[in-house]
Amino acid sequence: MTTGTVVFAARKIITMNPSRPFATHVAVRDGRIVATGTAEELCVGEVQLDTSFADKVLMPGFVEGHSHIMEGLMWLMPYVGAFDRRSPEGRLVPGVGDIDSIVARLKEVEAELQDDRTPLYAWGFDPLHIGGKMLSRHDLDRVSTKRSVIVVHASFHINNVNTHTLERAELLRATSISGVVAGSDGLASGELQGIPARMRLFRALGNNPQAGSITEADVKRYVASACVQGVTTITDLHNDLTDQTVEVYRGATRAPDFGVRLVPALASASHAPEQAIAKLEMLREHCNDKLHYGIVKLVVDGSIQGFTARLRWPGYHNGAANGLWYIAPEELPRLVDAYHRAGIQLHIHTNGDEATELALDAVEAAQTAMPRPDHRHTLQHCQMADAALFRRMKTLGVCVNLFSNHIYYWGDSHYALTMGPERAARLDAAGTALRIGVPFAIHSDAPVTPLAPLFTAWCAVNRVSSAGRVLGRETEALTVEQALAAVTIGAAYTLKLDHLVGSIETGKYADFVVLEDDPLAIDPQRLKDIAIWGTVLGGLARKAPRA
Amino acid sequence: MKRSSATTPVTVIGGFLGAGKTTFVNHLLATDSSRTAVLVNDFGEINVDVSLIASHDGDTMTLTNGCICCSIGTSFIDTMCRVLDAPLPYERIVIEASGVGDPWKIAEIALVEPTLRLDRVIVLADASRIAQLVGDVRVGSTVRGQFDRCNVVLLSKSDLVDPEALAVARAALLRLRPGLRIVETARGAMPTLAQLEAGPVASAFHVDTQLPDGSDHGAQFASWCYRRNGAFDRDVLAAALADLPPQLLRLKGSCRLDGEGGSAVFQMVERDWSISSGAAEDVDRAADIVLVGIGTADLPPAALLDAILDRALVDGPVLSCSTLSGVLIP
Ligand SMILES: [Zn+2]
Repeated sequence: MTTGTVVFAARKIITMNPSRPFATHVAVRDGRIVATGTAEELCVGEVQLDTSFADKVLMPGFVEGHSHIMEGLMWLMPYVGAFDRRSPEGRLVPGVGDIDSIVARLKEVEAELQDDRTPLYAWGFDPLHIGGKMLSRHDLDRVSTKRSVIVVHASFHINNVNTHTLERAELLRATSISGVVAGSDGLASGELQGIPARMRLFRALGNNPQAGSITEADVKRYVASACVQGVTTITDLHNDLTDQTVEVYRGATRAPDFGVRLVPALASASHAPEQAIAKLEMLREHCNDKLHYGIVKLVVDGSIQGFTARLRWPGYHNGAANGLWYIAPEELPRLVDAYHRAGIQLHIHTNGDEATELALDAVEAAQTAMPRPDHRHTLQHCQMADAALFRRMKTLGVCVNLFSNHIYYWGDSHYALTMGPERAARLDAAGTALRIGVPFAIHSDAPVTPLAPLFTAWCAVNRVSSAGRVLGRETEALTVEQALAAVTIGAAYTLKLDHLVGSIETGKYADFVVLEDDPLAIDPQRLKDIAIWGTVLGGLARKAPRA
Repeated sequence: MKRSSATTPVTVIGGFLGAGKTTFVNHLLATDSSRTAVLVNDFGEINVDVSLIASHDGDTMTLTNGCICCSIGTSFIDTMCRVLDAPLPYERIVIEASGVGDPWKIAEIALVEPTLRLDRVIVLADASRIAQLVGDVRVGSTVRGQFDRCNVVLLSKSDLVDPEALAVARAALLRLRPGLRIVETARGAMPTLAQLEAGPVASAFHVDTQLPDGSDHGAQFASWCYRRNGAFDRDVLAAALADLPPQLLRLKGSCRLDGEGGSAVFQMVERDWSISSGAAEDVDRAADIVLVGIGTADLPPAALLDAILDRALVDGPVLSCSTLSGVLIP
């Protein structure tokens, strides 16, 4: 072999390349894979043998097909969600499962803040995870009566604040406003929803933590989280891509040690199609081997657990009113057609089945008007599709990226409140996708749920909720091998990057995840617990931080 | 909640897609001379008639394309904050809600923000479609909800439907909210804010300079937007304009003329056109030339119309990259 070639030896290499599924060695040159095979096949001529992974298992680096840069911003604040989560520093942050422990954690952080004027922000709270209990202003008054305390929900749509904050924002008595929820005493409870209350809150506090432009430090935290979780290709699946963000991405990704391949999606909501198409044309010049622009995100409806997803008959199991359209149904075909004609790949957020049906109608119309081979428009989340909708996806050449983490985090709510027993059993129907032959991936939507492809794969394999309810395992569960394919080559396919990443085979980038155990040999229930040593990106090994 | 004495009135314009919200916003700008900030939340080819900014000395506009209802409204909040913190305060704020948004959810901003006061919520309804829309399986609940808290409904395009259809439209609205105040409007016959103030309003308004009546009731109109950087040659432009097809009924906007410096207001109604200087010098535009045309449904394709005007450009066509949307015009 040519000089400059490094051969990595491993206990086992799971390649996700069906024509050579397993190997023990992989030869790498110029950041790319020369070949996989045995020591005898690869250790010929002037090669350097690297045995540092000799006791480890290599797989293609994980591809997270739906997550957000916001994951990198959130860790500046204390986490108060109910489930354990790993920080970008590799620290395991335990979940806080009741109001008292949330208050205790906030008190700890509060004690370290000096200036009373500094607001204390926290994130990750979800009442559905602590028996429906809401954080009241009185709970947060136990943290401080002199400092503003703001807890951002896991959904990012609701904030809970203390009395001091309500007074500063002049919202304590403003309960005639729909977004200012009243408590039993007739005054504001501390729960603030919607744009007017949020705007008043941020104006009173003098800043909007969610509007901050992205900095290089945020990107670095995002990259660190990716490394901790074995991710080598990551999306930022809804971004306005302001000039400033574009500059930060360009600068960051050009650093030789930048540790991930980043795939941002332009948010259609902030651009008219002709603007977006022109912008992507301009952004093409910014692309490099670690920065891949070109996809556009459309958001059709809201979320199922927030009762804002659009459902077909019979609607929500508990009788709640149907959800919200974020794009008008008659507008969607026009948008899809404009992007489709321009050769752009669309990633369409549809949670409810009515939204999914509408998106498929729009793609069908666009395909009929101008057939385009291999468009790979991808439905994102698509949690409620039935077999008939999957059959339409197959016919139309549409891919799907399923939100498997929902089965664990909100499976109980879906069973009891939103969808009821039958529809909850086929929530995120990976088995159906497989049977019908729709190309699919599975995702975390981080920071909505934790970035951790092994955990996402575990969800798709075990299909069990956090309370232990099994949802449609007999029919919709994946095997470990199928789930691992979904977080590697499957996700790469939905991003049109499967020729570059997603499997370990000749010519592709030398992007690996380095595992301490063989996922195919262990008990499938332990899949999420496999320790991750770190990653290799373009041939460069990166040990994950551990704190 | 305490109010400072100097509060800015906020008018919220709601209504489903195609109800004529943008037309009405443009009409407000044309008939009101106060310093107005406009926030727009739907995409059109061009959201707000640029020529009105040019002809309205001292007016300032803010546009945003951040969809209010989508996500958490971050870009809308940012833009609204810039409006509220503007060094020279605005005399009026007009917010055009998204076609699938709830205008009341936006109007509440004026109720919680101490420096603002809610003027009113105006919801437009397309007379030819509203009866069907309120019962639509997919969008019915969205459309119905838009009328829950509005002060007045403008029943637009009432000249395009026959009297029976108009009665059906009115009945559909009154079923939602008996006693709902409904004002019928037509192309070129829209009330001003002052007229809406004055209680019951006659069903027709004086026609200001608008489209010549195509007399073909029920016809759909087509629009065309021409956007270029560069300047026209005045003489070549005269010839080019003569070549524009008769289907083009109106063309309005701003342009530059070679050797004449500054920006000029262009207006053409049928075959008569004029170019006047005196556009506000401090108005920043997305492109040197922005013209919005309206024609009958059989208006030839944009590329063909573009080519006719491109001939009049001094240096050939230069496509404008920057766009109007999201730009704060100082
Ligand atoms: Zn997302």
